Formats: sequence, C-alpha cells, structure tokens
Amino acid sequence: MTAPAKTVRLGAGMAFWGDRVQPAIDMVERGDIDYLCCDHLAELTMSILAKQRARGGDRGYTRDILDLLRGALPGIVAKGIKVVTNSGGANPRAAAAAVADLAKELGLSGLRIAVVTGDDIEADIDDLMERGVSFENLDTGRPLAEVRERLTHAAVYTGCEGIVEALGQGAQIVICGRVTDIALYLGPLIHEFGWARDDWDRLGMATVVAHAIECGGQATGGLYDGDWAGVAGLEDLGYPIAEVAEDGTAVLTKTPGTGGRVDVGTVSEQLVYEILDPARYLTADVTADFTQVRLEEIGPDRVRITGGTGGPAPATLKVNMGYRAGFVGEAQFTYTWPRAVEKARRGLEFLRRRLAAADFRYSEDLVEYPGHSSMWGDRVPPPDDPDLPEVVVRYAARCPDADEARKVFTESVPLYNNGPAGIAGIGTRPPLKELYAIWPALIPREHVVQSVEIVEV
Amino acid sequence: MRVVDLAHGRSGDKGDICNVGLVAWDDDGYRTLCRELTEERVAAHFGSLVRGSVTRYELPGIRALNFVLTGALDGGGTLSLRSDHLGKVMYAWLLRMELAGGA
Repeated sequence: MTAPAKTVRLGAGMAFWGDRVQPAIDMVERGDIDYLCCDHLAELTMSILAKQRARGGDRGYTRDILDLLRGALPGIVAKGIKVVTNSGGANPRAAAAAVADLAKELGLSGLRIAVVTGDDIEADIDDLMERGVSFENLDTGRPLAEVRERLTHAAVYTGCEGIVEALGQGAQIVICGRVTDIALYLGPLIHEFGWARDDWDRLGMATVVAHAIECGGQATGGLYDGDWAGVAGLEDLGYPIAEVAEDGTAVLTKTPGTGGRVDVGTVSEQLVYEILDPARYLTADVTADFTQVRLEEIGPDRVRITGGTGGPAPATLKVNMGYRAGFVGEAQFTYTWPRAVEKARRGLEFLRRRLAAADFRYSEDLVEYPGHSSMWGDRVPPPDDPDLPEVVVRYAARCPDADEARKVFTESVPLYNNGPAGIAGIGTRPPLKELYAIWPALIPREHVVQSVEIVEV
Repeated sequence: MRVVDLAHGRSGDKGDICNVGLVAWDDDGYRTLCRELTEERVAAHFGSLVRGSVTRYELPGIRALNFVLTGALDGGGTLSLRSDHLGKVMYAWLLRMELAGGA
C-alpha cells in the first residue's frame, strides 16, 4: 500500500484590513490547516498606512493582525501552524515587533517571526529614475514628475521569493509588506513541494487556487449573487481552505461547523472577481491562465478545482504609488412630500448658486439620488414621480484643498431655513475625506530584491 | 428575458477598470449569453458609466463571461465620487439588461 499523496492545507484567514478575525481563529481551532494566509492590503490601504507611519515610527501596519493573533496564537503555536501575512503594510518591522510583544504577553516562546522587506522603494525613486526607470503612468503614459512632490508611498507588488526563503529559515510567522495576495499562498506551496520556479503550469494552477480563496468569505457564500437567499449562516461565515495537491490542483472547502457554502456557484463567482484577461492573469511569480479551469462538486462543501495553467512571469513588476489628490466636499439632504422632487431640484440649485457665490473651486462634481439612482448614475433617470414620499440628494465634488471642500457642507447649511420647506438630514459637518490617487507604474524586476530578517521570541 | 434569468454575477475594481463576471446557470444559458452579449451591446447598455472600452473574455470551463470595462469608476476606487466607488454593483446593471432573442 502506498502512502497517501501529500496535500497542504492552506486557509484564507483575512481578506482585507478590517475583516472579521473570528474565521481565522475558527480555522486554527477546527480547520486542520497547515498554513494561515492573511491578506490585509488594498490599494488605498497602503496610502493610509504610509500616512500613519509618517506620524510615528511604530505605526504603519494593519493592527488587526494583533486582534487575530491574540485569539489564534496559542492554537497556532500548539499545532505548529504557520502564518503568512502582508499585514506589515508600510512598516513590517514594527508589525513583527508588536507580534513578538504579544507572544511574550501571552507567555509563548520559541517563535520565529520573519520580516520580509524589499517592496518599499519610496526612498529609492530618484536613484532608480537616474538609473533609467521611468515610472511613467501605466494607464496614461504620463511622466511621474507631474506628481512626484505629492507621493505618499511607492510599493512594489512583490512575489513569493522572500516568503519561501523565510519558511526555509524555519519561520513560523512571516510578516510581509506589499507582496501580492497570490504570493501568500504560492510561498508555502513552493516551500512544501519544492516546485521549480519555472514550473509554470503548477504555479499557474496554484495561482488559480489562491485567487479562488484569497478574498475569504467571498468564496464561501459571502457576497454571493447566485442563490444568496439559500446560503445559511452568513453571520458565522466560515472562510475557505484549499487542500492543495503536489500537482497544484486542489479541493476547496471551509472550516467545519461554520456558516456559508462551498459549491460550484460560489467558487465560480469568486474566480471571475477582479480579473482582466483570464488567459493572462499577471502576478509577480507567474502569468496564470484561467480559461480552462473546471470545477466539480465531490461532496458537501467540497469542490475540486483543476485545469489552471501558466506561463512565464512578466519581466517587470507593478509598482503602486500613492499621491495626495485633494479633498472631497460632500453634502446630503432629504426633501419630503408634497412635490419632493421639485424641492430637491430647487435645493440643489440653491447649493450650486451659493457655492458659485463663494468662488468654489473644484475639478469634478456629482449628483446622486441615494435610494434611487446612486449606483448607476444617469442610466437611471432622475426621480420624477410628484407623489414620492421623499427624495435624498447627495452632492459631492473633488476639490484642490480642504478649504474648498469644506465649502460644500457650509453652503448647504442655509438650506435648513433659507431654502424650500420640507428638508431634513443635513446633519453635522462630516469629516473631510482626503483623496489619494494611485499612480501605477512598472519596474524591471532586477531592481527589486526582497530580504528576510528573523525575530525570535 | 433579462440576463438575470440566465446568470449570476460579481464585479470589482482594478484602478479605474471595473470587471463584471457573469456565470451562466447552464450550458444553454451560456450559449445564449455568448451570442447576445456582444461588446457593442454591453457598451451601449452601460452608456455613460463606462468612458473607455468594453472587452469580453470567455471562461467556458465554468460557463462564465468576463467583461472588462475601462474608465468605469470615475477615476478609480480611491478617487471616485460615486457611492459605488469600487464597482461592486456594476454587475447588477448588466443583469438588468434585456435580451432580444429567446433562449
């Protein structure tokens, strides 16, 4: 009798900064996982973390990793589960130090924590430009000089190399900055199976698996558009687990005893989430091909996923730079029956005239009618039923600075007693929202080197 | 008949690009969607919501179509003034589209 084929059980513990932490804790307790992979970063997240880092040296990472580990670390240590996370954000060393402090506080020892760096190239931008990296905008072709003075951060979407190295050095917790979501999963698999770095089909297949689970609850019934009403237990949604085989194919499932569902429908929807050309899904480690992927239900909450392939990784890596792009000014108010629509239009006209009188400067503005046409803009005609009980108006404008943005609310306040009757809901002054725009660019991969440091507790 | 009678969907953002994935409930529905949902018709259906191009991709193994809409999020998730700045409900507008032909 031959030994059963090895599989590696990867759990998706977090899908974004602010996600629930209980699914990861449940997974550690009942999921029989080998690795807990946690994605905390999104485009905007890096700008926020960079802003936090600028305020103090020990900030700039997503602190929810501490909430998660406070509940999960004892189980992780007891069971020998490994954690791979990009919660380091803009300050992975600070995140590792905080995790080490937490471990001590919990009375744990013998923990090897790795810090993977190399993604943050902000300090090197001018040097890299002198060496010929143009950083022109990937979408518009415009030169970086236009926004250089307003940059808040520059982070390269790095691959799994540093994670593989950290695991090879015996790290139990690997804390990265801006590695790709996919790298959080590929790293453990390459470490476990010893796949060659140009074994493109296996890397491509594993990338498909990683994409299927990386958004956590979105693969187990959360945000499911198909049979959404038939998904039980959304309040206790379990997060997905992939049992990955040596060939990169997997069975997708979830933590036992949790809510939600894993079936062909839920997984299919997640496979088409946030992809462009499915034949060329670009990552730092491989160009994956989703076009021949197949799904098969082999049991309750068990879906086999096969058919992914891949090709060489791109010669360049993507850099996302954030830059300050002004502020949003916003006002929202509600008019009521009778003639609510006419009153709303008059109120809006009032606001625009008041703003014009205040020499309001803005680049774009937008009117939405929440509850009617705030999602699909002018594809939905403005409300025109004269008998509507109420109409909500939301006015928003992109402004060059905070003073301009404040005018939107300030000039809406007189509507309370100078405008048409039947108004409510202007409310208190909303917090000003600063805008961070993303400047996507490319960098030849030879300029980006990941390095690994180990912190021992 | 509408798209919603044949498929379910999900959408999301990559910068100022919104992708809309549709998953057909069965093979007949997938064939109908492939026939009816041309790039031109989908672009016309989204109208001013999409300032750039509409490109269609097929994933036959899971009976899915992926539409990539550029210039579709008012500058992208971090800049957009829209309430749906991440394009999370753009798929639902495609589900509302009327299909001319029968299944």
